This record gives sequence, structure tokens and C-alpha cells, in this order.
Amino acid sequence: MTHVIETRDLAKTYGAVRALDGLSLTIPRGGVYGVLGPNGAGKSTLFRILLGLIRPTAGEASVMGGPVGDIAAGRRMGAMIETPRYPPYMTARQVLEWLSLAHGLRPDKPRVDRWLDRVGLGTAANRRVRGFSVGMLQRLGVAAALITEPELIILDEPTSGMDPPGIQDMRALIRSLADTDGITVVLASHQLLEVQRVCDRVAILNKGQIVREGLVRDLTASGERLRLSLSPIGAAIDLLGDRGVVEGDAVLASVPRNEGPALIRALVERGVDIDEARWVGADLESVFMSETGTVQTPESIHAG
Amino acid sequence: MLADAIKSEAYRLSKNRMTLGFSVLAIPAMFIAGGIVFHTQMRARMAEAVAEAGVGAQPGLAVPAAQAVDLFDRLGVGVAQAANGAIMVFLLLAAAALYAGDYRWETWRLISARNIRPSLIMGKVTTFAGVALLAMAVFILASLIVGLAEAAVTGQGVAFNATGEGTGKMALGFGIAWVRIVQYAMLSLLVAVVTRSLLASLFVPVVVGFGQTLLGQIGMPFLGWGPTDLQAQLLMPGLAYDTVKGAIAAEAAAPVTSATLARALLSLGLWTLVPFGLALAWFQRQDLSKE
Repeated sequence: MTHVIETRDLAKTYGAVRALDGLSLTIPRGGVYGVLGPNGAGKSTLFRILLGLIRPTAGEASVMGGPVGDIAAGRRMGAMIETPRYPPYMTARQVLEWLSLAHGLRPDKPRVDRWLDRVGLGTAANRRVRGFSVGMLQRLGVAAALITEPELIILDEPTSGMDPPGIQDMRALIRSLADTDGITVVLASHQLLEVQRVCDRVAILNKGQIVREGLVRDLTASGERLRLSLSPIGAAIDLLGDRGVVEGDAVLASVPRNEGPALIRALVERGVDIDEARWVGADLESVFMSETGTVQTPESIHAG
Repeated sequence: MLADAIKSEAYRLSKNRMTLGFSVLAIPAMFIAGGIVFHTQMRARMAEAVAEAGVGAQPGLAVPAAQAVDLFDRLGVGVAQAANGAIMVFLLLAAAALYAGDYRWETWRLISARNIRPSLIMGKVTTFAGVALLAMAVFILASLIVGLAEAAVTGQGVAFNATGEGTGKMALGFGIAWVRIVQYAMLSLLVAVVTRSLLASLFVPVVVGFGQTLLGQIGMPFLGWGPTDLQAQLLMPGLAYDTVKGAIAAEAAAPVTSATLARALLSLGLWTLVPFGLALAWFQRQDLSKE
């Protein structure tokens, strides 16, 4: 089996809203795979379908070679969807022991301790989760997803609510899961820089469909753009049309380097005041913006 | 799969000590405390009455000869009361925690991908049935403790006059009390699945039970229903339970016909299986990702 997840023409509608619109996706075994998208792109809906929490309106999905809902296949997968919550009266250790039992395993102390240590909760093992911060809950959620030592782990916003050192730790953990433990990691995150650093491959979703998919290094290898801080922005967009994307008080122009001076002249002739013009290399953020036509803010791309 | 669900539910409930304590220990503890206070007070009052009456001068007012406290009889009392309203209401705490806890704490998404949904529900029902057995056993033990306390306070001896027939009736009574408790909590399961609310799963069965009690106390005479009528038995599983208990006791003064017994058993069966079936059917198609 070379793929851990496959979907074909997957659709999910909520009333008149099409959360997924014929999504076909193949996620290969191994490495870290990122799923990106703005609000309402369908990321969470996709994950929920893959976990069997909701049923698709149409289409097919398989996980670890079995159809969604296949328990044998499901037991080879771990997941953390959004900020996890637990019975507040339980300690972190008890949560993992409980989930071990629920998944058909003995609550093996060395295994529980190992995963608590891996996520940085070794010293909080016997604390009740009612006192945990969001970041600690996220860490425990990752440990809970890993307690069965799955071949595939799905993480929805694993760094949400974490402080910068925590984010760094989580990034290192995710990489080590893929590189050392051989676990395929599929994650969604609104922190595109983090995704670019940790993921090998990404799919960008927009309006329930995949608009771009590929290796991160391929996606970011091309697409150098001219970043223009100017006003009024409307006049620049009128001139650039589809080649221009608004980013805050600037415009990113997708033009070849040799057309840059001509573009600047044309803008000046139209009465546009240009404060700054510089060439910027393509990063995942700019790929994301150009594919989805959105300006990145944490709020705009946080939930799917 | 079912075994995994049962083990995990039992483990989780065992860590919820407050809920488990109230569900299993509260009523027996109150029963023991109340029994000791009652017998101590009774003993004191009796002594006062005897002293005031001057027992020595009036042989007719002498304290009756002490009879041994029959612990087998106390066992029977415990079994007969094992499904009383107070125990059932306190057991709803455990039922609500089991049946609605995964909605309350949004933990369905942690466990539902790795087990089939009928097993997840059956795991909860089986665990609750186990808790009900435990609560009944503790209550019956409390009945014995109260009997021993009575003997100690009054200076009576203790006896254990078991009979084969009595033991059989006690076993049947225990079984039907257990069915009654599990049946009552099925409402909690149905409400939990439909409403996703822990509070609703706790209070709706209380309200329904209260309504059924009112129907029995006030509505039946008003409607002209007799206790053995089909509609009365079907609408009030509590009445059905009393009917079955009466049939097991086989008291000559209030014989239960086989037709009435069949209605009562049908009522208990329906009130158990229909909520369970509806909850399972609803759960099978439920979106478990909602918060």
C-alpha cells in the first residue's frame, strides 16, 4: 500500500452549503503532508469524514487501505481534531490509560510514560486535565493520537494555543514522528511558515476542492513576485487584473522580472504613489494567497 | 470490540469518584445512618415510656420479650427496596455521566473511529448495568448493617432463617429490581443521544418518573383505570415492576393473574428495548463531530 488516504469525488453538503465539492486526494505513505485552506475550504470536514465522525454526501474515501468506518483500518490511525477536551477529573496519565483500553490495548505504563515524555508532559502526568492550558491539551491530544502507535496520524491545528517554544517542540516532534518513527503525519495548520518548515507535501483546498497539490519545494521554487507598497491599491489591481493579489497595504504582482520597470512606469502614469517596490521569492504563503485569492490572517485561514 | 468498550467505560467511571460515590454509596449511607438513629431513638423512647409507666407495677406494659433480628428477612427487605426511587435517581448520576459524558467532554471523536457504534453504546449500557448491580449489592449490605445495628442497640440477638423458597424469591426479586433500574436509565440513554446534554439526560428521566407517579396516584382514579389495566401497566413501568414483585412474592391476599403478569413484563420489556433501540438507531446516524 503506497497511499494512506485516498478520496474520490468526495462531497459533503450542509443544506445549501457545499463543504466538499468533488474532492479527490491521494496522500502517499511517509513524510508530513499539509492540508491548507481558508475558512470554509473543507479541511475539517475532510478530516471528520476520514475519521468516520460524519458521512459524506457523495464519493468515496479510504484510510489505510480500508473504507472509512473500517475498524481494522481505523485502528492503524490516530487523530487529534481541533483542541481536544477530556473528562476534567482525569489526569493526563489516566486519559492515555483510558484511551489505551478503548483501543483494545492494555494500559501499559512504559508506553504511556514514553508518549507523555515525547510530547513534553512527563512532569504533568499525574495532574488533572482541568488545570491544563490549551497548549498542554494540544500536547496531550497528540499523545492520545499516538498512544496506539499508529501508522498514520491526523493532526488538526496541532500548534494552536502554543507558545513559540511549544510550537518549536511540536514541529520537532512532528518531524521526528515521520523521520524516526516512520509515521505518516497529515496536518492542517494556519501557520503557513510552520507548514512550509515541517511538511514535505501540501494540498491547498478552496471551496471544497483542491486548487494546488505538490511537494513544498516545487510549489515554492517558482513564482517570484514584485511586492509594491502603493496607493491607491484599486488602481493597481485594475491594471494587473488576475496577476495582482492584495497583501495588506501592498500588492503582489506576478510579472516576469524584465516587466517590472514597465509595470512601475505604468502605475506611476496612472497616478499611483509607490512607496516601495521589491522582488520577493515565493513562499507557501504567497502560493496560498495566489491560489485562494485571500489575504492571510490567522482568522481567515484558521478553520476549514 | 464490546469488551474494549466495557473496559474503557468502567475505567473512566472508576476515575469519576464523585459521581460513582453518590451513585453507589449515598443512599446506603443515608439508610444506615437513618436506621441507626431510628433504632437508637426508638430504644430511648421505649425506655422512657416504660419508666414513666412503671413497668414493674403494671405487667401489661412490660417490654416485649426480645426477638432475634432475622438477617435473612433483612436481606429480603433490602432486595425489595433495591429499586426504590431514591436509588434510581442517584444512579441516574452514573447513567448521565456514562451516556452523556462523551457529548459533554467532546470525547466521541477520540474513541469512535476505533470501534463500531453499537459496541460503544452497549459498552455504556453494560457498564451501567454493572454499576446498578454494585449499588443494589451495597444497599442490600446496608440493610444487613441496619439489622445488625438494631440488634446491637436493642440487645436482640441475630438469626438467619433462610429457606429455599425465600432464597428463590429473593433471587427473582433481585433480578427484576435490576431490570427495573436498567430500564429506567434507558430513558437517560435516549435523552443523552438525542439532546447531547448531560443535564437533560439527568433530569428528563426524573421528570418522566415523577409524571408517571402522578399518573398512578392522581390520574388513574380520575381516568377510572385499575392497576391491572393494560394502559396503566404500559404507561407506568413502575407499576409494572410492582406487579412483577407482587407475582414473585405470591401473596395470597393479592394474587397476580398470569395475564396481568404478562402485561407487566411486556411493559418493562418495551420501556427497556424501545428507548435502547431508538437511541441506537439515532446514534448510528449521528454526526459525532458537533460540539
